Amino acid sequence: MLCLRNVGYVRDGRRILQGINMTFREGMSYSILGPNGAGKSTIARIIMGELKPTSGQVLFDGSDITELGVTERARLGISMAWQYFTDYEGIRVREYLTLGGKLKVGEDEIREALELVGLPYELYAGRFIDKTLSGGERKRVELASLLLLKPRYAILDEPDSGLDITAGELVEELLDRFKKAGTTVIIITHHEEIAGKTDFAYFLCAGRLVKKGFSREVVDYYRRTCGRCLFVEGSS
Amino acid sequence: MIKADRVKEYEALLDIYEREGLNRSLFDDRVAAIIISGSKIIGLNNVPGVEIKGEEIENGVRADVRIADGVELPFPIHLCTGYLKGEGHQRVEFNITVGKNSKVKFTSHCIFPYAKDFTHEAVSRITVGENSSVLYEDEHIHGEGVRMISRTEVEVKAGGRYTGRFSLTKHRARELKLEMTVKLAEMAIAELASKVKAVKDDSVEIREVLLLEGAHSRGNLKSTVIAFDNSRVNVVNEAYGLGDYAKGHVECHEIVKGRADVQTVPLLRVRNDKAELTHEASIGRINEAQLVQLMAKGLTEEEAAELIIKGLLGE
Repeated sequence: MLCLRNVGYVRDGRRILQGINMTFREGMSYSILGPNGAGKSTIARIIMGELKPTSGQVLFDGSDITELGVTERARLGISMAWQYFTDYEGIRVREYLTLGGKLKVGEDEIREALELVGLPYELYAGRFIDKTLSGGERKRVELASLLLLKPRYAILDEPDSGLDITAGELVEELLDRFKKAGTTVIIITHHEEIAGKTDFAYFLCAGRLVKKGFSREVVDYYRRTCGRCLFVEGSS
Repeated sequence: MIKADRVKEYEALLDIYEREGLNRSLFDDRVAAIIISGSKIIGLNNVPGVEIKGEEIENGVRADVRIADGVELPFPIHLCTGYLKGEGHQRVEFNITVGKNSKVKFTSHCIFPYAKDFTHEAVSRITVGENSSVLYEDEHIHGEGVRMISRTEVEVKAGGRYTGRFSLTKHRARELKLEMTVKLAEMAIAELASKVKAVKDDSVEIREVLLLEGAHSRGNLKSTVIAFDNSRVNVVNEAYGLGDYAKGHVECHEIVKGRADVQTVPLLRVRNDKAELTHEASIGRINEAQLVQLMAKGLTEEEAAELIIKGLLGE
């Protein structure tokens, strides 16, 4: 189980997150929903270990992992697909997916992962992950890499951003595939239709947790309230 | 093809190709080639459409390579320059002329595996005929002590295309001075890419010059340097927009680790208001986002850096 206990984050004197408590149980899927600037990606980066919280703890299977770095957390089984996936000049898709040969997977598995994210194996496995791939294609490569990695927890930061009209279907397929692999998915999103595809949701606004519960309830609340509250104004 | 008294050197070169994973099939009879060891020509092979003439000069070799009009070869032309002793000086001169409407590839290997105190001087003049296409790939196997001075002048005639790729990434650069000038006629295209890894106290100077003289000529200069330890690197990329609608792009990326001293100087000069030049440069440590995204898959920072550098250098 992965937990955030009373997590806060302050940057340049500005409070980005405060008093965040979240629990992610294995076997379920989660979304962290909220408008732009709510602090969703900051939570993702804190879970991954890229950022250290200024207060509170990150707990994993009951152990405090707050001080662990990105690699150590990845080796515990936490991984992440960033919202903006960078390019890697000179590295081919196949090489990236196998981490330069360190991840032992067969060509069939690579093919399956690529095709699940909508990239035909023959056309993409040998291509470079550079500017010749669009942002959407690079993002699909990153999602395929998590499928191959089969982590215990996969954080998908805005998995639909930069993708075309098939994004919704892709997210559903990913959720299904991750579930079968035993991976607990945490989706960061500001789209209620994407959040609605997970089992549970946390609604975050202005760095504070507003509501948690079954996704359909949280999404419904988000639709009714977001943009009409005073949180954003109060947070600045 | 091989003179009897030079068989041993030839075989020694073949062994090095094997050891370094280079393509030994380039020594096949169907491949036009000149094989140089020290100041001797130890092998020379011509094929229809390609005429190579070599001459042994003081401390080196001078070679003329002529490609006829309308030649398209199934194999690259192999230029192999070896030096199998530890100390000395070698000078090679290549005059390469490619006729019209031809398409050829050159694979140039510089093999100095035992060099401890060795100077290699190379002067190349390449003329690419009208509507011809030339790809020139340069790869190096160096020992610890090579001082290399290389000067290449390329002239690309109307509608021609020249692609030059220089790579010194698997072995020490030690002291490298690389100068390449490309002059483009109308509708001609050039692309130069250099990849160098400098370590310890290596000193690297790269100067690439693009003269976009012809109307609608286009060129791209790209240098990638990884500088480690106490190495010193200076990269100067110059582009001159002279012809109508000429377009040039200059790109230099340098990654620094340790106490390396690195500078890059782009020089763009336009003397025609219809010409357009752009440049892009970066110097610094490895991109943080790239590192973190790989570390989130379980790689350590060192492993992630290694993979990124490997990609950048095309290894």
